[in-house]
Amino acid sequence: MNIRFSRLAATLAVGAVAISGFTALQTQAAMKPSAEMEAWLKTAKLGVYNKDENWAEVVANAKREGEVVVYTSSGRIAKLVQPFNALYPEIKLTVHDLGSVKSVEKTIREQDASIFNADIVTTGNSGQVIHGMVNKNYLVNYVPQAYRDRIPEESREPLLVRVNEAMVIFYNTEAYPSAAPIKNLWELTEAKYEGRVGMKNPMSSGSTFMGVMTLIQNHEEMAAAYQRYAGKPIKLGEGITNAGQEFWARMLANDLVIFKSGSKLAGASGKKGQKKPLIAFANMTYIARNESKGYVNKILADVDPVAKLVYPTFTAIARQAPHPNAAKLFTAYLLGSTNLSKASDIKKPYMKGTSLDLLQGLAPYYDPGSVSPRDDVPLPAGGEIWAAMKGWNVDPDFMWNEGPKMRDFWTVHSSK
Amino acid sequence: MALPQTDRPRLPVFSARNISYQFYRLRNRPELILGVLCLAVLGLLVLVPLFEIIHDSLTYQSYDKAYRPDAEVGGFTLFHLERVFTGPLSYALLIKPLLNSIGIGFFVTAIGVSVGAGLAWLLVRTNIHFKGTFGALIVIPYMMPSWVLALAWLSLFKNDRIGGTEGMFTSLFGVQPPDWVSYGFLPIVICLALHYYVYGYLLMSGALATVDSELEEAGAICGMNRRQRLWRITVPLLMPALGSAIVLTFIRILGTFGTPALLGLPVRFFTFSTQIYASLNARNSGDAYVLALVLIVMAITFIWINSRIIGIRKSFVTLTGKGFRQNEIGLGMWRWPATIGVSIFVVITVFMPMLILLWESLIITPGEYTFEGLTAHFWFGESDPDIAYGEPGIIHSPGILTALWNSIKLGVSAAVVNGFVGLMIGYAAVRGRGSLLSKWLEGVAFAPYIFPSIALGAIYIGMFSTPFGPIPALYGTFAILLLITVVKNLPFTSRTGIAAMLQIDKSLEETARVQGIGWFRRMVQIIIPMSTSGLISGMLLTFITTMRELSLIILLLSPTNMVLTGLIFNYNEQDMTQHSGAVTLLLVMVIIGMNLVVRVLSGGKGLSGLKSG
Repeated sequence: MNIRFSRLAATLAVGAVAISGFTALQTQAAMKPSAEMEAWLKTAKLGVYNKDENWAEVVANAKREGEVVVYTSSGRIAKLVQPFNALYPEIKLTVHDLGSVKSVEKTIREQDASIFNADIVTTGNSGQVIHGMVNKNYLVNYVPQAYRDRIPEESREPLLVRVNEAMVIFYNTEAYPSAAPIKNLWELTEAKYEGRVGMKNPMSSGSTFMGVMTLIQNHEEMAAAYQRYAGKPIKLGEGITNAGQEFWARMLANDLVIFKSGSKLAGASGKKGQKKPLIAFANMTYIARNESKGYVNKILADVDPVAKLVYPTFTAIARQAPHPNAAKLFTAYLLGSTNLSKASDIKKPYMKGTSLDLLQGLAPYYDPGSVSPRDDVPLPAGGEIWAAMKGWNVDPDFMWNEGPKMRDFWTVHSSK
Repeated sequence: MALPQTDRPRLPVFSARNISYQFYRLRNRPELILGVLCLAVLGLLVLVPLFEIIHDSLTYQSYDKAYRPDAEVGGFTLFHLERVFTGPLSYALLIKPLLNSIGIGFFVTAIGVSVGAGLAWLLVRTNIHFKGTFGALIVIPYMMPSWVLALAWLSLFKNDRIGGTEGMFTSLFGVQPPDWVSYGFLPIVICLALHYYVYGYLLMSGALATVDSELEEAGAICGMNRRQRLWRITVPLLMPALGSAIVLTFIRILGTFGTPALLGLPVRFFTFSTQIYASLNARNSGDAYVLALVLIVMAITFIWINSRIIGIRKSFVTLTGKGFRQNEIGLGMWRWPATIGVSIFVVITVFMPMLILLWESLIITPGEYTFEGLTAHFWFGESDPDIAYGEPGIIHSPGILTALWNSIKLGVSAAVVNGFVGLMIGYAAVRGRGSLLSKWLEGVAFAPYIFPSIALGAIYIGMFSTPFGPIPALYGTFAILLLITVVKNLPFTSRTGIAAMLQIDKSLEETARVQGIGWFRRMVQIIIPMSTSGLISGMLLTFITTMRELSLIILLLSPTNMVLTGLIFNYNEQDMTQHSGAVTLLLVMVIIGMNLVVRVLSGGKGLSGLKSG
C-alpha cells in the first residue's frame, strides 16, 4: 500500500510541475497590453484612443452591437433591465448578479482563459479590483467625456467609482431615546458592550473588511482618540503593532457578534420592542429599512474619531469586451442622465416617470447611504447626513498589501 | 471468469498468432477494456483539477505578494504548507476548525447512521404500519436544501444574542435559551443529523431488503438464538452498507458548508469547510487548496480504512438467481408505539421545514413568523413598487420558466449519463476486483466527492475554455454544466454501480458466456435488468443533487442557462426571503413530484432501492 501511495504521489508531483511551468509562462505574458488588446482598444476607442468622443456615434454603434453584458456585485443593477430596455429597445441588457467574490473570480478566470464575455464589471473591494484586475489589464477605465467635469478626479482615476457607500454605526432609538450610546469608538470595547455589538463577517463581506482596514490604516488617529477617551496613551497587546489592530482585537475579545446577513444585522439593532438590542457596524444603505420595515435605527453621526467608513463600488469595461460601445452607453446610464442637476426635482417613486428619466442608473441607489461620485446630484431625503459625518477612505494599495496580513490577524483573534 | 491457468505455448511477442491470442484474451476481459477507458477519461476530468490544486498550493499566488513582495508568482514554494501546518496561524486555520469538523462529523455520523439504520430496519423488516407512506416521506429531507433545517432551528431557538425578532421558544416561555442551545456545536449536529440520516436509511434499507430470511433461519436450525443470528448472520451481511453509510456521511459532513456557517457564525464556531470558503473568498487559493488537500487526504484515509475492513472479504453476493424469501418480523405490542414514533419523526423532519418555507414565502416582513397579514403576493402578485422593490411574484418572474426547464433538463440528462457511467465503472471495478486497475478506478471515481465545489467550477473554466485534448471548447455551453455535474456526482453513481454489481453473482454471466452470448447482449439482457433498482435509485439521487446544486455551477452559468438554484441565490443576495422561500418550495415540489413519477413508473422503487457497496 505504501509503495502504491508513493507512486501516486510521484505521479501527482510530476503533473503539478508540468502545470506550474505552463502557468508561469501565462502570468508573465499578461503584464503588458497584448497586440490583440491594443487593436481592440483602437477600434473600441478606449484607453489612450479615447479622445474627442462623438456621443451620437457611440449610441449608434451601441445600437448596432445590440447587447451589453454586466457582471455585478450589486443586486440592484438587475432592476435596471426593464428601464434600460424601455429607453434603448435595440440593446439587450444582460445582468449577472454574482456577488462581489464571484464577480472578481469569474472575471479573472475568464480573462485568464481569454474568454471575452463580459462588457462591464461593476463591483467593490478596491484592492482586488485595482491590483488584481486593472493593473493586469483585465479591466479598462472608462469615463464618458460628458461626465468628466462632474466627477472629481479621485473618483475617476485610476478607476471610475459608480457609487460610494459606507459602513456606519446603527443604534436603536427605543433603547437610547435621549442621546447616542457612545461618543468615542473605544467605548464599544468596554464590558458594558460585551456581546452587544454586531458586525457582518469581514471574512466574507468585502465592504465590512474594507471598514476594518480603514481603522487600521488610520491607526494614529485611533490612538489619539484613545488618548482622548482614556486620558492616557494606549497600551498595545502582545504581537499587536498599532491602535487600529488593538481596537479590533479588543472588539473580538469583547465578544463581537458576527452576522452573515446585512439585513439581519440591521434588524438586530433596529427592530422595535427589543429589551437588549445590538449596536451594529452596518451598511448605511440599510437605514432605508426604517421606512420599509419599521425599524428604529439611527445613524451615529457624531463619534470620535470617525463616523463613516467609505467604500466605493467601481465600474469598468472588461478587456476585449464584445460590445464596447454598448458598454460605454451603459456606463453613462449608470451615472445618471446629463440633464440631472442640483436643481432637479426628484420625487418618489424613483423608479418611475421623470425621476427615473433623470436618475437612470442612480434610481435604485437613491438613498442617504449610497452616494453618486457626481457633484451635481440633488440630495435624497435625509441625504444631508452624509456630508455632515466625518469619514475615512481606505487606500487600494493598503488593502492589497496589508489586507492578507489583517485577515490572518482576524482569523487568529476570532478563534481565541 | 478467470479460468485456471494452463500451460500454454510460448509465442514470439509480435507473431500474428500471439497478437491474435492476446486480442482473444482481451476480448474475453471486457472489464479490462472498460476499466482502462473509464480510468483514462476520469483521469482527465478528475486528476487535472487535482493537479491544479496541488500546483497552486506549492507555488506563489499573486495574493502572497503581500507577504513576500519579491516572490515570483508561479514559483515553487512551501510557503502555504508552512502557514497552514507550522505557522502561528495553524491553530486558528487548521487545528481548531479541523477538531470542530471531526467532532461534528463523528456525532452526526453516529446519530444519523443509527437513526437511518433503525428506520430502515423498521420499514423493511418489521410489520410497522403505513410502510409505503413512511417510505416515501422519509427521504424527503434529502430533497430539501440542508440549510432549511438550520433556518428552522434559528426561528425556534434563537436568543437575544443576535437580536431582532424573538425566537418562538422565547416568545412562548419568556426564557432565553443559552447560547450553546441556540448556536454552535449542538444545533449543527442535530440539524445535520436530521438531514443526512437519509444516507444511512437508503443504504441500509437497500441492503436489508436483500438479506434472505433463509440465511437467518438456517442459523436458527443450527441452534443460534436471536441475538447470535443478528450478530453472526444479519450484521455481517449488512457491514458493507454500514461502512458505506458511515464513509459517505462522515466525508459529506466534513465538506458541508451552509449549516455550520448559519449556526456557527454567531458564536464564532468555525469548521474546516467554513475556513476553506473564507480563503477562497479572499482569492487566497494557496491556503484554501492546502486545506482542501488535507480534506482529500483524510477522505482517502477513511475510505482506505473502510475498504480494509470490508472490501477484502470476498462475497456479499445476495442476488444469485436462486430462491429468495423474506419474513416480516412482528413488533407485537410495540407496533403502534413504533408507528407513532416514526410519525413524529416525519412531522419534525419533513413537514415542519416545508411549513416554515411556505410560511416564509407568505409573510410580509421576513423573519416575523406571525399569522397576520399573510399574502400570496410573492407567489402570484403583479409588480408593486411598494413591496420588495417592485419585484413581482415568482410566477410572473420572467426567467422562472426557463430556469425551471433548465434545471429539469440538467437534472435528467445528468441522471441518465451518470446512471450509465456508474454502471460501467461498477462493472469494471467489480469484475476486475482485486486488481490495481479496479482500485484506482474506484479511488478516482470517488475523488470528486471531496473537492470544494466552487474550486472545481473555477478550475473547469480554465480547462474547457480552449479545446482540451479531443474535447472542443465547452465554456458557455450546456455541455460543460452537464460534464461537471456528472463528474461531481460520480462518487454516488459509481458507488451504486459497484453495489449493484457486487450483488449480481458472476455465475449468472458465466452461464450466458457458456452459451456463447456476447458481452453486449449480456449487459443488456442480464446485468442492466438485474441492477435496475439500484440504477434507478442512483439516477434519482443524481437528479436530486443536481437540482439542488449551485456553488458547483455558478461560475459556469450564463443567463440562458440559468437554473432554479441560481434564482434562489439571486433572491438571497437581494435579501428577498419570501421570493427565495417560494422558489425553494417550488424546487422541492418539483423534486418530490419527479420522485413520485419515477416511483409509479418503476413499480414503487424510487429512492428506496438504493443499495450498498
